[in-house]
Amino acid sequence: MSEIQKPWFTCDGNGTSPDTAPRPTTRATRRQVVTSTVGAALAAWFGRSALEDVAFAETKESGRDILVVLFLRGGADGLSVVAPYAEDAYHRNRPNLALKAKEVVKLDDFFGLHPSLSALEPFYKEGKLAAIHAVGSGDDSRSHFEAMATMERGVADQKASASSGWLGRHLLHAPALQKTPLRAVAFDSIYPDMLRGAMEVSVVQSLEEFRLQLPENEQGKAATATLASLYQPGNDAVSHAGRETLAVLEAVKKIDPKDYKPQNGAKYPESHLATGLRQTAFLIRANLGVEVVTLSRGGWDTHVAQGGTVGWIAGELKDVGDSLAAFAQDLGTEMNRVTVVVQTEFGRRAYENDGLGTDHGLASVMFLLGGGVQGGKVYAKWPGLEKHQLVDPGDLRVTTDYRTVLAEVIAKRLQGTAWVNKVFPTVSPTDYLNIIKQG
Amino acid sequence: MERLSRRDALRGTLALGAIGVAASAMTGCSKVLQQTTAARHTPETIELPQEGDISPTVRLLNRAAFGPAWGDVAKVEKMGAKAWLDEQLQAPTDDRAETNGLQLRLATIEAIHSDGWELRDIPDVELLRQLQQAAVLRAVYSQWQLRERMVDLWTNHFNIYARKQDGFTTPYKAVDDTKVIREHALGSFPAMLRASAKSPAMLFYLDNQKNKKGVANENYAREILELHTLGVHGGYTQKDVQEVARCLTGWTIEERPFWKIMKDGDKENPFRSRGSFYFDEERHDKGEKIVLNRKIPAGGGIEDGEKVLDIIAMHPSTAKFIATKMVRYFYGTEDEATIAELAVVYLKTKGDIKAMLTHLLLPLADDQPPKGYAPTMKRPYDFLVSALRATNANTDGDKPIQDHLEKMGQALFQWPMPDGYPDTTDAWTGSLLARWNFAIPLVQNKIEGTGVEVDEKIKTDTLLERLFARRAEDSVLTDLRTAIVKHTPVEAMGLILCSPAFQWR
Repeated sequence: MSEIQKPWFTCDGNGTSPDTAPRPTTRATRRQVVTSTVGAALAAWFGRSALEDVAFAETKESGRDILVVLFLRGGADGLSVVAPYAEDAYHRNRPNLALKAKEVVKLDDFFGLHPSLSALEPFYKEGKLAAIHAVGSGDDSRSHFEAMATMERGVADQKASASSGWLGRHLLHAPALQKTPLRAVAFDSIYPDMLRGAMEVSVVQSLEEFRLQLPENEQGKAATATLASLYQPGNDAVSHAGRETLAVLEAVKKIDPKDYKPQNGAKYPESHLATGLRQTAFLIRANLGVEVVTLSRGGWDTHVAQGGTVGWIAGELKDVGDSLAAFAQDLGTEMNRVTVVVQTEFGRRAYENDGLGTDHGLASVMFLLGGGVQGGKVYAKWPGLEKHQLVDPGDLRVTTDYRTVLAEVIAKRLQGTAWVNKVFPTVSPTDYLNIIKQG
Repeated sequence: MERLSRRDALRGTLALGAIGVAASAMTGCSKVLQQTTAARHTPETIELPQEGDISPTVRLLNRAAFGPAWGDVAKVEKMGAKAWLDEQLQAPTDDRAETNGLQLRLATIEAIHSDGWELRDIPDVELLRQLQQAAVLRAVYSQWQLRERMVDLWTNHFNIYARKQDGFTTPYKAVDDTKVIREHALGSFPAMLRASAKSPAMLFYLDNQKNKKGVANENYAREILELHTLGVHGGYTQKDVQEVARCLTGWTIEERPFWKIMKDGDKENPFRSRGSFYFDEERHDKGEKIVLNRKIPAGGGIEDGEKVLDIIAMHPSTAKFIATKMVRYFYGTEDEATIAELAVVYLKTKGDIKAMLTHLLLPLADDQPPKGYAPTMKRPYDFLVSALRATNANTDGDKPIQDHLEKMGQALFQWPMPDGYPDTTDAWTGSLLARWNFAIPLVQNKIEGTGVEVDEKIKTDTLLERLFARRAEDSVLTDLRTAIVKHTPVEAMGLILCSPAFQWR
């Protein structure tokens, strides 16, 4: 009973009428959503703001976490991110690149965080940050694109045929908490595959881009209204996207993201990722109905001159650690309704190469950060780094399927027990790592 | 693609309905559930737009060129589609036959007139700006439109991130643009593959310059198989990747000290040799290798890599992979029959790009569009260039224009991953706002270095006919025509460029 008792469709298990339930009631079709938001947008140009009640609606009582997914593109070296500093083979395989015991931020008596990630240590100690190691997919192509496509589609390996993304399936099956085109926001230059199949996705590089460069006078308003009318009738992909864009413009116009002041003394670094996370915090606090945010950060394809405590990867990790720490500090208690997932498409070879870099490998590391995370622990069935323990040609074996982590997040933090099997059909609740607190 | 994902979406809806029924039996909320499922059952399929009443000449110019510029339709109609296409296929690889206007604009751009070594003196940011500027100028103004389209295709096929390692790659990319992409854009694919394999930009970008005996670096070996030739499901194994990497050990960039180059290299001009391709025998793995079941005997030198290139260039999977890319690029689909036919042309002609283009493009000029042809969304670059051509804009192609491309998500030579910018409609639907915010200042002459002249008395029908090269009465323009009639010509032109119809080719 409990698996299906608290699903999305307003029933609270006691047969409460939908009329008295706070939200959501019935879900509108996409057409209705689009028409109504564009209608609202048009209304707003004439001085009314029908969208306002949508944009400022309360989301706090939904009980569904806001999910933030940070994808490290390029294959981040899990053995440098969370180093198995106590394993001899680690140092033998990487005489130049291995992090020494005294260099890492110790997470336990075996694993240590790269020193560049030290800003995350307090969250680990508070139990809000968990690491999962030797995690990955069944993809053995070691191709960035295949491995990313596998993980973004949320499938076992590259041979799986699903074309939609795992977040796309989640968003399709979960009822929208609000009718807003900001339901899913991708801070990206292109549409990320993990959101494929979802319908209310906004792909932006920065929220500040969300302004149409027409004057606010009558002429500008008339041109804007005509533009909206051009996008209203079509049933093609461009018209659909145009309607959503226009609705988002209206929503963001309500509050200027530039006015957003980080709280709790949080200081974001100056970087693309930090800007994205800062705007994510803004979206969360502004209650614009955002449910899912995705961010990408490249820079991990460290074939050559990867560096150790300083150098290439140290610099990349510093940005990630400082940005995430600022985000969590900024949101403070709001982190109780936020779960952050950090993942990468694969790890890198256990052996360093002649260019003091590492080639494409298999397993890597993931992080979960949030109030609902059973943190302060590294979850790993450690396969070991001795030659006979590695997968040819020398890669860390995957002992935890990345999907079990994501499935548990959906089930326990996104109220998704009723649809998690549509997102990850072959993952069973018995596979969960119990990395999420029972809510 | 779009239809498939929508079908997935629909399947999801049906599945959800099934859960709904199960759950309702348990909780007694059947009324709500029925409403919910009914609402979600309404199929919301995304369709391709209608092509409308387009002339075959315009269809050809929309695909084989960056859309018609003023006067193009009349010119092609006068000479005939086949003659035009034949002429396009004979395009020179340099700028000598261009108009004076374009030649003058290009004359001051150092990046396209010098070799790699000299270019090292130019700061990489400036060099990249020059490269981007030259690309836009040629795409907008070159009479060799098909060549420029192919340059765009191959630039992405053999993608190189010019800013790798703080722009160290940029001078190499400048040479790659001339010697690999432009030299072979309409030539032979195997020859282009070979040029690319010896291009310092590629060697540097995919780390083959570090690939040496005993400690092979697989990066380039993998991508040449996956992205340049066979395609990821083309029938190679991880072992093949490693063997190809071994064959390519020692393929590197000449960076030895001058006295060494003087000794056994180009004695005449050691400066010129620096930064060019160099085979380092000492770093080459001379052992036996087996690539795609073909034995490459021990004791070989540079010919090991050459053999690999021969094997993969003429592999049937390569024929299919290149054909797929060209069909998607020019037809907007992955029509299997069209791909299969084009792959046969590839194999028969040993990868002759002209033969493939003739086969693929000539049918576009028939009264009815060929099978496998469908509307496809312009990429930001296509959109920007076609807008500048359609409005007869005067542009210097400089930074303000490049900034707009970046905002639309397609900054030239800056796609970090080796697969090149995506070429499917669904990858680009997120870029509309940036397109609108380009079109609006463009028609208002607010983009520095770019100007558009708008006749204040022009009729909106005339504007529509100019910008779309089709009749204003065309059914696909009905809504647009009604909507813009109340606007000034400047506004109308901006709205046309912003419209859904202008985003499709």
